[in-house]
Amino acid sequence: MKKLFKAISMLAVSTVMACGFAACGGGGDNGEVDSSGNTIVKIMFHVDEKSTEGQAYKKRIDAFNTAYKDKKIKASATYQARTTGAAGYETELLNKQIEGTLPDIITFDAPNCASYANSKLLYDISSLVSQDVQDDFLSLNKYDGKLYGLPIQESSAGFYYNKKIFRAANIDVSSYTVENPWTFDQFKQVCAKLKNAGTTAVDMRLDATKDETATYLLYPFIYAAGGSFTSEDGFTATGYFNSSATQSGFQFLKDLVSEGYTSYSIGATDFYTGKVGMFLSSGWTIPEIENKYKETFASRDDWGLLPYPQGTAKASATGSWCYGITNNHHKDKSAAKELLLWLTSTESSDAITTATGMIAARKSVNKNYAAGSPEEVLLKQLQLTGKARPATVAYPTFSTCFNQIIYSLKDGNLTEIINTQTNTLQSEMNKLHRS
Amino acid sequence: MKEKTLTVDGKTIPLNNRMTGKRITKEVIYYLCGIVLSLLFLFPIIYMLATSTKSESAYAESAGSLAMFLPDFAHLGTMFDNYGSVLTNYSIWKYALNSFLYAVIVIVLNVLVNGLAGYVMAKMNFPGKRLFSALIIFLIIVPVETSIIPLYSIVKIMLGLKQTASILGIILPSAISIFNIFLFMQFFQSIPKEYEEAARMDGSSTLGIFFKVILPLSKPIVATVAVFCFIGVWNDYLWPSMILPQASEGEWPLMPIQAALTTIQSMEGITTGEIMASLVITSIPIFIIYVAAQKYIVQGFGSAGLKM
Amino acid sequence: MTGSTLIILAIFAAGFAGLAVWDIVRAKKKNQKYRIRSSATAYLMLLPAVLLAFLFILLPILYSLGYAFTDYYLLTPNDINFIGLDNFANVFKEIGEKGTLYHAIINTLIFVVGVVPLQICMALGLALFTNRKVRGVKIFKVCFFAPVVISLSVTSFLWLQILSPSETGLLNSFLGLFGAEPHDWLRDPKTAMLCIIILSAWQGCGFQMLIFTSGLSNIRNDLYEAASLDGANAWQKFKTVTWPGLRSTFVYIIITVFIGACRIMTQPMLMTGYQDHTVTLSYYMYTQGYTYRWVGYSSAVALIMTIVIGTITLIQRRAFREK
Repeated sequence: MKKLFKAISMLAVSTVMACGFAACGGGGDNGEVDSSGNTIVKIMFHVDEKSTEGQAYKKRIDAFNTAYKDKKIKASATYQARTTGAAGYETELLNKQIEGTLPDIITFDAPNCASYANSKLLYDISSLVSQDVQDDFLSLNKYDGKLYGLPIQESSAGFYYNKKIFRAANIDVSSYTVENPWTFDQFKQVCAKLKNAGTTAVDMRLDATKDETATYLLYPFIYAAGGSFTSEDGFTATGYFNSSATQSGFQFLKDLVSEGYTSYSIGATDFYTGKVGMFLSSGWTIPEIENKYKETFASRDDWGLLPYPQGTAKASATGSWCYGITNNHHKDKSAAKELLLWLTSTESSDAITTATGMIAARKSVNKNYAAGSPEEVLLKQLQLTGKARPATVAYPTFSTCFNQIIYSLKDGNLTEIINTQTNTLQSEMNKLHRS
Repeated sequence: MKEKTLTVDGKTIPLNNRMTGKRITKEVIYYLCGIVLSLLFLFPIIYMLATSTKSESAYAESAGSLAMFLPDFAHLGTMFDNYGSVLTNYSIWKYALNSFLYAVIVIVLNVLVNGLAGYVMAKMNFPGKRLFSALIIFLIIVPVETSIIPLYSIVKIMLGLKQTASILGIILPSAISIFNIFLFMQFFQSIPKEYEEAARMDGSSTLGIFFKVILPLSKPIVATVAVFCFIGVWNDYLWPSMILPQASEGEWPLMPIQAALTTIQSMEGITTGEIMASLVITSIPIFIIYVAAQKYIVQGFGSAGLKM
Repeated sequence: MTGSTLIILAIFAAGFAGLAVWDIVRAKKKNQKYRIRSSATAYLMLLPAVLLAFLFILLPILYSLGYAFTDYYLLTPNDINFIGLDNFANVFKEIGEKGTLYHAIINTLIFVVGVVPLQICMALGLALFTNRKVRGVKIFKVCFFAPVVISLSVTSFLWLQILSPSETGLLNSFLGLFGAEPHDWLRDPKTAMLCIIILSAWQGCGFQMLIFTSGLSNIRNDLYEAASLDGANAWQKFKTVTWPGLRSTFVYIIITVFIGACRIMTQPMLMTGYQDHTVTLSYYMYTQGYTYRWVGYSSAVALIMTIVIGTITLIQRRAFREK
């Protein structure tokens, strides 16, 4: 009998503990105000705290807390790095949404804006922020005529090239500027010369189809070929994604593979170690080259940056992460607005982009880059030819479909592949349109 | 047939034919096969160990040659640098500690909860038992992946296990395992009735019999279940990454090791060697436990009978 | 959610109570009785398991069953509507149009048909190989078992390096010694699934080897001696003594390996990403439910999958039991 009592009491205690924990867990988040009377604004960043970018955010948050100490507003930041596979930022976001503990401000990848806005995850900030405060690069942040996000920074990408290899192969690319980029044919000619000189011509990041990277770097080629992906409202793909112009864009990429200018098996650091002539990558590579690979690239005489080639149109990659205010349980958004404006101010924009090497989303933070420098190429490209990814509620499916086409570029019938993916995307859009 | 003999101290001993010639060749072939097979099973692991000692450039250099399988002898002094950086920079020891703690708690709960249930199902009769027998067979068959999202809602919304309390969301679902109940059931059925009857005659209650008689006799199956639990908790990354919150600045992280690894592996700047080092670190504890418990596992399955 | 949980709980309690009463009545008829105290003890000892199993095993399954008939979209958890059989209609439509689900089914089938015999034969072979009392056999056992220790995600990552398409990838450089061209093993639809089958069998067979070993140790030695006296050679000994003795072990192994194989998700996810030639059912369900956020549809697929696997398992049990 004694043992029985023991067992029952053990069970009772653990049940009580469990309930106690549950109660404890719920209580802490309801408070908007801490013990010193500060209104807490919670913000969640998508990078690891220890990374360069994370540190930059941290400094701005600390500066905010100092500046707003008298106004009794305190920012509290958490850092959840985004990763591929199961774990990551969006998981945490969904967790919090279901738990009801969404932070006041989140960061999100611009193409997700439509989806989040449609699901009422984001708060409409058109009323909070006059649209001309930051009119610079906002196309992806608008949904259904309203504004839902402000860019943290912008991005661009281009073709880094190894000047030593180019000189050795007698390739002259000095005439290819952002205003007058090279054409698809000229691009292929350069590749051919590189191939003849015995190097892998270009790393097109065809291996990056497990996440957004391949989509981000390669989608401009489709626009450049005169193609498109979706209708403007983002609910039709048929007729756009499988148009002949779109197909010609993919065909160009496919040709690069079949003509041996690029492949799926280029090592991640092959360009950095001097084995590849050109490397398609975003602005993030500039600090990478200058900090880590001085052996191959001693100075800017050894490497440069070329813009995206043009087809019937000019297009380059844009879009990065944005801040957004969430539709969480805090009804009063004034404190969050202060933090948002602080983080998107000229000062913050400058500080963050200096640390990350990305391009500021505020036109006024125009660092005067040296003419012809890689940074200047990216900045001008962004302003002149930057074209955003399609704004659609079905963006995750779009990204997967695009990646699947890139993955199978080598084999199979391109028209068939594109049609299959278009059908998949279209049915997904139909499902979302109804709900 | 010539008989081979050996002469020692004047005595002549006839040698068994089986000790010479054909027999030796067979032995040699056996060992050779064993070695070849072992290499086939081990080569990726050797590769992992060797790469973990290399810096990124050493790794690139040795790629494609036999040096892939050899540790970086050229840089003997820095061979374990990757391990050092992984342990300190990425605080892997914190996550390993978490996994250990979760594992210990889960093992204790698991043996208690499932052991008790297995005992009841094996030895006792009560009205309504048929329902549970049927449920056990049914639940073993249903795959787990189908239930992850509802399980998530139950843990997060219904039970309200938020923030730190999410740990319970890791521990409690792992404390129940229909498969382990099944194992315990089979094992207990093979324990002769006499033990219980003797204990009962001594005035012991049912619970007393369980703790004082049955459990001590069940070391093999308890060891087996403990090992499975440990491995389950140690290797699980999908569920913890969905449930546990990310640690804010200065707090002790809650993640177990495999989930943390997935994040660490995609961090900027991490080298292949460091990734391999972290993989080795996570694999070592399990390896030790398996080797130590191998005997028990074989025993456990052997006596369980495994009547499906 | 709590409301419907309580309803489900009430239904189960009622069902159980009904069955219990029926048992008691039946026992009375046979002039037997259930002793109150021992039954109460049994219930109490079962309580923790039943509580946890109800909350964390049964309830999710039932909810998944429920979601299958709704349009649950993950980003709008407060807007769930009952849509009847629409999800199932979409499932069959997708299969008919040879969409991703169709490929997932085919790939899972290929994987199961490939890995189950391969892994079991390897395990049995290794178990027989190490079933000797020679020095060093323990070392062999540990070597064969080592891959099991490596978790699936580590295995996937390792083999990603081994199967790397560049000419410095392990497999390519090894085959390059014989003059073969480097091959993109994971991208080629013809070899991708095969590679995944082989590496999965590599990773898992050590565990089944252990189970076979314990099954072998249960076979009485005198049976072997009797066979020897009858002049049986190794193969005949295997057929007449070993194989029948391993019967129940074999049934257990084939059922567990089969169920495990049907659930494969980590390898394609970490090695190739979401692509038609390697996508499996679990991976499809996960992507549909979590990445595309259609929990309702994903649950419908899960329900169908469970029914199919369950049926096949029951058939397996019957078929192998029947002697």
